[in-house]
Order: sequence, then C-alpha cells, then structure tokens
Amino acid sequence: MTTTTLPDLTLPTRPSRLRETIAAVLVGAVVLVSIIGLDIPWTELSDIPGRVAEYLRLMFAEPSWEKLPRALFETWRSVSMAWLGAIGCVVVSIPLGMLAARGVGPAWLRFVLRRSFAVIRAVPEVIIALVLLTVTGLTPFTGALALGIAGIGTQGKWVYETIESAQEGASEAVRAAGGNTAEVTRWALWPAAAPALMSFALYRFEINIRTSAVLGLVGAGGIGTMLSNYTNYREWDTVGMLLIVVVAVTMVFDLVSGSIRRRIMEGGRARAVDR
Amino acid sequence: MTTQTTELRMPPKPRNRWRTAAIVAALCTFTVLTCLPAIGGVELDFAGMVRNWANGADKMGELLRPDFSFLPRTITPMLETLAMAVAGAALAAAASIPLTLWAARPSNPNRVTRQVVRFIINVNRAVPDLVFAMVLVAMVGVGVLPGLITLFLFDVGVVVKLVSEAIEGADHHYIEAGQAAGGTQSQINKATLLPQSWTLYANQWLYSLELNVRISAILGIVGAGGIGRLLDERRGFYAYDDVSVIILEILVVVMIIELCSNLLRSRLR
Amino acid sequence: MTEAASTTQPDGVATPWSITLEDVSVTYPNGTRALRGVSAHIEAGEMVSIVGLSGSGKSTLIRTINGLVPATSGRVVVGGHEVTGLRGRALRQLRGHIGMIFQSFNLADRTSVLNNVLVGRFAHTPSYRTLLGLTSAADKELALRCLDSVGMLEKVWARAGALSGGQKQRVAIARALCQQPSVMLADEPVASLDPPTAHAVMGDLARINAERDLTVLINIHMMDLARQYSRRMIGLRDGEIVYDGPAASATDADFEQIYDRPIQSRDRMGSAL
Repeated sequence: MTTTTLPDLTLPTRPSRLRETIAAVLVGAVVLVSIIGLDIPWTELSDIPGRVAEYLRLMFAEPSWEKLPRALFETWRSVSMAWLGAIGCVVVSIPLGMLAARGVGPAWLRFVLRRSFAVIRAVPEVIIALVLLTVTGLTPFTGALALGIAGIGTQGKWVYETIESAQEGASEAVRAAGGNTAEVTRWALWPAAAPALMSFALYRFEINIRTSAVLGLVGAGGIGTMLSNYTNYREWDTVGMLLIVVVAVTMVFDLVSGSIRRRIMEGGRARAVDR
Repeated sequence: MTTQTTELRMPPKPRNRWRTAAIVAALCTFTVLTCLPAIGGVELDFAGMVRNWANGADKMGELLRPDFSFLPRTITPMLETLAMAVAGAALAAAASIPLTLWAARPSNPNRVTRQVVRFIINVNRAVPDLVFAMVLVAMVGVGVLPGLITLFLFDVGVVVKLVSEAIEGADHHYIEAGQAAGGTQSQINKATLLPQSWTLYANQWLYSLELNVRISAILGIVGAGGIGRLLDERRGFYAYDDVSVIILEILVVVMIIELCSNLLRSRLR
Repeated sequence: MTEAASTTQPDGVATPWSITLEDVSVTYPNGTRALRGVSAHIEAGEMVSIVGLSGSGKSTLIRTINGLVPATSGRVVVGGHEVTGLRGRALRQLRGHIGMIFQSFNLADRTSVLNNVLVGRFAHTPSYRTLLGLTSAADKELALRCLDSVGMLEKVWARAGALSGGQKQRVAIARALCQQPSVMLADEPVASLDPPTAHAVMGDLARINAERDLTVLINIHMMDLARQYSRRMIGLRDGEIVYDGPAASATDADFEQIYDRPIQSRDRMGSAL
C-alpha cells in the first residue's frame, strides 16, 4: 500500500449520532427490564425444548384420526360462527361506517361513531366476546353475535376510510353534474367503494375463522371447544389431529378467500390490510 | 323530445346477470348451510338469546358500574402483561430479521429455501394465538413463559409475512451493483438491503407491539400469565364491577401504546 | 484538495485487462435472442463505446463480460480468465476486478455514501466481516480516496438518496473504483442526467481511462458523446455488430445504419453549455 505517502484527506466531520444512540439505549433498557421483570423459571429453561419435543412427538408422531368426523362437524360449526359473524358485522358496519365518513353524516354523529369504533378496536375482540358470551349464554349463536359485534370497530374504520378515499374523485363528478346526496352515494361512492368493501368483508371472514376457534376455547362451541376438551383430557394424539385440522382449514380458507379477494380487487390496487 | 331522432342502436349489454345470480345463489346456499345445526351449523335460536339476555341484563348493568377500589390489585398483572408484550415483540424482532431475508425473493434467490420458510410461517400464522397459548400451557406449565412463546411465534408470523411482502414490493436496483462488485447475497443483504428496508421492519415491529398488548391481555384466560388471568378469575366469581375495571384499564393501556407507537412511527423515515 | 492531489493515483493501480468475445450468443429464458454471434477484441487500456438503440443488445453484451448475464454459447475471456462457465466464488472473485456503473446509479438510497462505496470492497472482504460490520482501516481509507478522486468526499456521511443525479453517478463511479478494477463497464451512465452533468460524468470516465490506463466500455446511445469521448466505437443492431471502428470518424450514415432509421434530435446529448 502506498497510501501513507499520499496527502492526508480532510474529512468532513461526521454528523452526531447522539440522539440515535440515546434512543437505542433507551429501547434496549426497556426490553431488558421487561425480560428480567418476567417471572420466567430460568433454571428450568434448559429442559423446555426437550419437553416441547416430547409433546410434539406425542401429538404428531401418530395423530389419532378416529375422531376426525366429529372434528369436521365441529369445524363446520366454527366456520358457520365465523361466517354469520362476518355477515352480521358487515351488515352493521357498512351503514355505520358510511355515516362516519366525512361529508356523509352530520359532524356530531361522525364524532360519536368514530370514537365508538376506536373504543371497540382497543378492547381485544376476545374480551368483548367473553363478556357477551357470559351475558347471553354459551351457544354458537351468541358466539356468532359476539364475533359480529367485536369486529365492528375495525370494520367500521375500514368502511369510512374506503368511502373517504373513494369520495375524492368520483363524487365530485356526480355533484358537478347536479346530483344530490343520494345520487352521489348511489352513482359515485358505491361503485368506487364496493370492491374494497367486499374484499374487507371477506377479510373479516378470514379473521373470524381464527377468532371463532378462540371463542371455542372459552366455551362457545365448535373446534375450539373440542380442542380445549381434549387438551384437558390430555389425549395428545387427538389434540395433534385437531391442530392439523385447524391449521389445514384455516390455510384453505385463507387461500380461497385470498384469491377471491384478489379477483375482486383486480384492476384496482389491492389495498394493504393492516388491522 | 319533440324533434324526430333516429332510434339509437345500443350495443348489447354484457350478460353479467347469470354470473351475478350464480354468485348470489352460492352465497345464499353457503349461508343456509351455516344455519343447519344437523351438519354442525349454528342454530339461530333468537328466543334462547332473548331469554339469556334477560338473565344477563343485570350483569350488563354491573359492568357499567366499575368498582375502582379494585384498581390497585390490577397494577402488577398489568405490568406483567406489558413486560410480556415488550419482551415478546423484542425477541420476535430479532428473529424476524434473518427469517424475513429468507422469505423474500430479492434477498433470497433460492426458491426452495424461500418456499420452505414461507410454508413454515404460513402454518404458524394459521394457528390462532390463544390456541398456541393453551397448548403451550399444557406443555411447559402455567405462567408467563407459554405466553411469551405465544407472543413470539405470533409476532414472527406477522412481521415476516408483512415485511417480506413489503421488501418484494420495493425496487432493489442496488442488488445488481452488489453482484457486479462480486458480493455474496449475504454481503448484499447486510450492507445494503437491511439499511434500505429497516423502516419497513420498524413499522411492523411497532405494529406487532401494539397487537401484543391486546393479545397478552387475554393470554391469561388460558393460564399464560398477565392481566387476563385476573380477568378470567373475576369473571368466574361474577364480579362484573371488577371485570369492568380491568377492561377499562386494558382499553386505556392499549390506546396509550397505540399513541406512542404512532408517534414513533411518524418519526421513522 | 488541490486538483493535483486528486489526479494522483492513490489507490493502487491494477493492470488493465483485455476483453475477448468469441461468437457470443445470449438467448433469454423467454426466447428473446439478445445477442447473435458477437465477436470482438478489446485491448487492455482501450476506451470503447457501444452504440445502439434500446433493445439492440448492448446491455446484455456488457453484462456477459462480468457474468451478470451468462452467455448461452460462445466464449467470453476477460484478462485471460474465461467468464463463461465460472460460478460461485470464482465468478465473484473475477467480478471483483470488473467495476460497473449503471443508468439508474443503483445506490442503496437509505444508507450513507461511505457504505455505498464500501460495496466495492465486497469481493475483497470475507463475508463474516461484512456481516459483523467490520470495515478494515485500509478499505475505509481506499473508499475515501476514491470518493475524493471524483470530488465527492464532502458528501461521505450523507445519505445516498439525498444526492442529485450527477452526484449519485459519481458515488457509483467511486464504488466501482474502490474495487481497484482492471476493467470498467458503464451501462448507459448518462442517460438519466442533464447535458452538463452528462459531460462531467463522461469526462470522469475518460480521465479514469487516461490516468489509470483502465479498460473502459461504455454503453451509450448518444452519437455525439460516443464521438467525443471514445476512440473506438462498436455499433449493435438486433444483437449483431454492425459497426466496429474509430469513433471520431464515424459518419452520420454509419449511425443511421446502426439505428436503422434517420438520425433524430434525441440521438444527441448536445453540448455542455
């Protein structure tokens, strides 16, 4: 290397990284405190992988297919809950969400609706369902009802966001042509927003498939209840079969619903669904 | 119209009616099938619901009268919930970095390993969070550990799927430059693709933290630690005034975390 | 920094390589025949422009030289190494000696200029060092010298995305120089730049060729730039060489033959002023 004989370079001063460093240290500290603060049996940690492996062997080495018909029956019950819940949720949230969109309903109603959506969103769906279930009874029907109500917060938000993004273009054209509010809704908003709303409705169904299994764990019936029971009986080979069924069914419905959603949205950009 | 005009000849309207009818019929059939108890469908028992509702109305009334003297007892479990959420999100964030790079096409041109990682992630995502928790509680015992593992697995699924898709949706011209300079894929990933994609990661890490607070609040229902255990216990005792306090607290905490997360997110660039 | 300092050759001059193409054809998996039996020899230290319309195969041609696009048939020999058939580590080592710059600069916009230039050291750095983020002092010094030689030392800590197009292309040149290359490939390096910047970048490439005696290959579709900055010109049309000779004396008729149509105003960049 001949570099030493070269004239020294005058480097510009490096910009300060102090703020990034402080932020990193803070985040690190919070994470560390959280982990240390958790009541984890550190000494037993080393046998956990072995134990998990043992249980996995019990579950999946020879899953018991004997109860498969019953599992499929219960699966259909969960899917039904999810479907009816999605219908209920969509039927309620589309009008409410539309009213909550800017330029449709009065301002005070918009405020009230948006606040309510935010509150429902903040409470975990399962808790809403859990409370509803204890009040209305542990049946699949009330499970579907709970799914319908718990989803309104998110679904309503999607609806008014969709409507608002649709409003910007098409509705002005109809208004310019002399349309009244009803005509604007029919001829501008609905055609522009319908594909996205359908897609969100299907997405609600996908979410509900998962949540309905969870509701089963707390007693609403369906595959979740069966899974919970056999876990309590410690019949691991049946639990293994049930888990396989849950995963397979969820993946199949995701796949089918996802491809339908893509077909609905084709042409338009598929909007990223985040919550 | 008073003037004589020649009749307009319309092009034939596209025949969508049959297709629409078929779709509507399919949807109706599906809905009817979900309402047949004989094959597992849901029994639409409105009468029973009304009956239950009458029984439950006073419980609902209790929910509206939270007993705030219960609040101090909720602090410790709530902190446990938050700690679980943070720790789970942090561990998942660390694990998500290499897994995402394996799952995205620009960072992993090898089709086989990419599909394997994606399949595992999809299976992982197909298991509902509370089902994971329940099975893990049975495996490793009651406590925060199964809850932590559940959150970890859930977050890894969310982050890897969303970030790998975001990476695939972005342009990566610089990869060709890295290849032209004789770099290995892992050199290119570390030195250019990661710095280029880290806001995508950070966004989803924050999102997974938000989700975690919501989920960790319910993990206790199946025995996996946190405030959910207390909630389940008070619900078991029909102490709805206490349940109400816990729900309000969860609501407030979730909203605060969302607020902080949105603040942080707006600073990302 | 004085002009004299920047014209010294700080970063270890590599010996230039010659390039030989023998009957090279490339057919893409979708059936497109991008190159049809191209043969050419380029002497070490030559500066050659490859002229043709988009779709004429010049991007493919330049990429067969560093193996980014493998030749379907024929032989590509660079500096005595046969590129065709090289894979994995050997191919990466060879690429380490061939610098390349691109029309869209191909920088990682969200990271610093320095990190982008250090990409040029990939082939000379063990993977684990890159993964751990360990940069040797010598590599860093080299990267800074290269930035200095294109007049971009000021921006060393800036994010690459914050630079103008001309600045980005200079950083890209520094990245390629940082490889201490024996051959420099440039794929439409000025197509995204305005005329003054384009002339400056072409000037940089000519200077590199003169000072370091580096073999330089430039894909370009502007006839005036090709005439002005290179001595030899290769014309490509539909994947075949239709002109190979001195650049300065290439007539408009020669260009019309390469373009297969009358010359239009967009075939000229125009002067720097």
